[in-house]
Amino acid sequence: MTEAALEIRGVSKSYAEHVAVSDFSLSVPRGTVYGLLGPNGAGKTTTIRMILDIIAPDSGSISILGRPHGDRGVLDSVGYLPEERGLYKKMSVRDVLRFLAELKGVDRRTANARIDEWLSRMGLRTDAKDWGKAKVDELSRGMQQKVQFIGTLLHDPSLVILDEPFSGLDPINAQALKDTVVELRRRGKTVIFSTHVMDSAERLCDSVCIIAGGRKVLDGKLADVRAENAGHTVALALDGDPDTAISSVLRDRALVARMDDHGRNFEIELAAGADAQELLHRIVAAGARIRRFEQVQPSLHQIFLQRVGATGVEEGMSGHG
Amino acid sequence: MDKLWVVIKREYIERVRTKWFVFVTLFGPIFFAAIMIVPGYLSVRGMQDARVNSVRIVDATGAGLGYRVAEKLVPAAADSSDAAVAARDSALTYMRSEVREVAPATLAALEDSLVADVMAQRLTGYLILDSATMAGTSARYAGRNASSVGENEQIENAVRAALLESRIESAGIDAATAESLSRVRVRLAAERITDEGKGGSGLAGAIFGFAIAFLLYMSIIFYGQAILRGVLEEKTTRVAEVVMSSVTADTLLAGKVIGVGAVGLTQQLTWVASGVLFWKLRGAILSAIGAPGMPSFAFPAIEPAVLIALVLFFLLGYTLYAALFAAVGAMVGSQEEANQASQPVMMLLVFSIIFVQPVMMDPTSTLANVMSLIPFSAPIIMPVRMSATQVPGVEIAGSLLGVALACVACIWLAARIYRIGLLMYGKRPSLRELARWVRQS
Repeated sequence: MTEAALEIRGVSKSYAEHVAVSDFSLSVPRGTVYGLLGPNGAGKTTTIRMILDIIAPDSGSISILGRPHGDRGVLDSVGYLPEERGLYKKMSVRDVLRFLAELKGVDRRTANARIDEWLSRMGLRTDAKDWGKAKVDELSRGMQQKVQFIGTLLHDPSLVILDEPFSGLDPINAQALKDTVVELRRRGKTVIFSTHVMDSAERLCDSVCIIAGGRKVLDGKLADVRAENAGHTVALALDGDPDTAISSVLRDRALVARMDDHGRNFEIELAAGADAQELLHRIVAAGARIRRFEQVQPSLHQIFLQRVGATGVEEGMSGHG
Repeated sequence: MDKLWVVIKREYIERVRTKWFVFVTLFGPIFFAAIMIVPGYLSVRGMQDARVNSVRIVDATGAGLGYRVAEKLVPAAADSSDAAVAARDSALTYMRSEVREVAPATLAALEDSLVADVMAQRLTGYLILDSATMAGTSARYAGRNASSVGENEQIENAVRAALLESRIESAGIDAATAESLSRVRVRLAAERITDEGKGGSGLAGAIFGFAIAFLLYMSIIFYGQAILRGVLEEKTTRVAEVVMSSVTADTLLAGKVIGVGAVGLTQQLTWVASGVLFWKLRGAILSAIGAPGMPSFAFPAIEPAVLIALVLFFLLGYTLYAALFAAVGAMVGSQEEANQASQPVMMLLVFSIIFVQPVMMDPTSTLANVMSLIPFSAPIIMPVRMSATQVPGVEIAGSLLGVALACVACIWLAARIYRIGLLMYGKRPSLRELARWVRQS
């Protein structure tokens, strides 16, 4: 159990027009929930596809559970939920699931037993109705998502990779997914998921890796990441709207590197070398009535903005969730 | 191997289960039954009806031609044995004919009453023999069965034979000699001769060759399109990515081609088996429904080596085109785009099939030689040529080798396009982009 669940060393991949992933390394310990965070187009999906040997890296190596990922049978212990989901529409749910399980080397009888178990667990098989017999395209979208999720876990993988798992999920399925991730972790499985929704990452992950423009920006345990980035962020609340004098202080680049403006509440990232005390002094001098002034641990969202920079953030970003 | 098997199994079972497959597969035997049994049955039914035919022969020739015609309508047995007579009686039409000699002037009035008789079903029809008949130009028949080609021909033959006999007789030759002189029945039996000697009838060879070419053409189009649709489905439903996280794109492609090919083979074996079965049982079935044997031709004798070559052409030809169709499926994003993008592949096929007839007509021409060596047309043209003429073994082997090499090249190319294309969405790639895909993977 010493080797990591996933070890990526110096992987690069470029397409004709652009570099998708550049000299990327990552080590994911076993039994953790790991968040791969980045804006759209950061190279998350390309990285995941390389892990799963769907596309070949130009250079670098990848090993899963201590073995090169191209080795026979290694991928049988990996479960994958792609961002773009899909199933064979004309097949029955049970047949699709059995097919996916058999592709991972699960024998027919075991697969059948597990399918029944999972269908019941996900509420797709009750005394009244067995959706396993229905064709995939007779199912609602939410049900199809459940079936896809079952397909990811049917072979009891040690490493589960979920690409943007929360996109398009209704609240009930999103909750079921979160519960399952927690359950998997409890059973010692490793879960890697990519997302650009910082909120869900913050609540679920033990460790995170932020990737932007195909390069790793930072990685580590969530607590460490936050501690390292602490001391630079100030939460400020004013009594009344800021007047011109106060606004000009807050716009002073020598003091404030970045500011998340909510009207009367501000999450302020101090400029390099700036002192929180000086900021407080200047604001008070400008005549502000202060309700709150606190040095805080930054949210993952704030760290993300801080490290990736507003330029690396696309419209798809959502933050406070 | 296990995973390849899983993919093959899914492709096979999902396709064989469809209503469409069941329908088309069962349609084959029904079709064979129809073309083998029904015509035989119908002709028998026609003959049975004809037995109660009652035909009035109106003889206005004044030369007694009517009696001769009536006589000729009762066919002679092949010999005088009981079996031959019985066969004649059961097999051939016996027309109850009644002759009435009239003067040409009364013909019009009589015809009116005959029409009334036919309308009232007292008669099946009437035959008018007049001076034009004696001149050898025409005779007239009118009746309920006037649209029956077989019966018209029978009456026509009887009139001709009667006229010939009467002319020979009037040339001063006695009746018996005239009878034997006028009895002329020649059938052309064409037989094909190859290096190995006689090999069944030429017609059978041509039908066989055409059947092979057509079967291959149809199955390539049908199952090639099925592969295209299958790939497109996996791409548009995005299920491809899930599958490719478990198996390589190459395995998926191979499984698809083999699985769909197996579906096609299942269907064709059903057809061939039912065809052969009906052919064998045809006599029994026909006699069970009271029909005699039909004129028959022997199946061309196929040597094992030729059979192996045919099967190889079939399999390689299918694989060649299947790979191309799969590549097209991976390139496009919708059925409309697929129709357009598969045009070049379809052209290769159509180009082959339009040359089938010229090659059959002249199987030793330069055109035939060249077409049977080009890998894309060889799987269709070579079997046609082989059935139409003797093709040197070296040429067959060379042609097969060419198809096999083209097959390997196409699979190599298709696998590369497939691997990249399956995960590419958006606009269709240009040729240059395609070339890059191929280089990249």
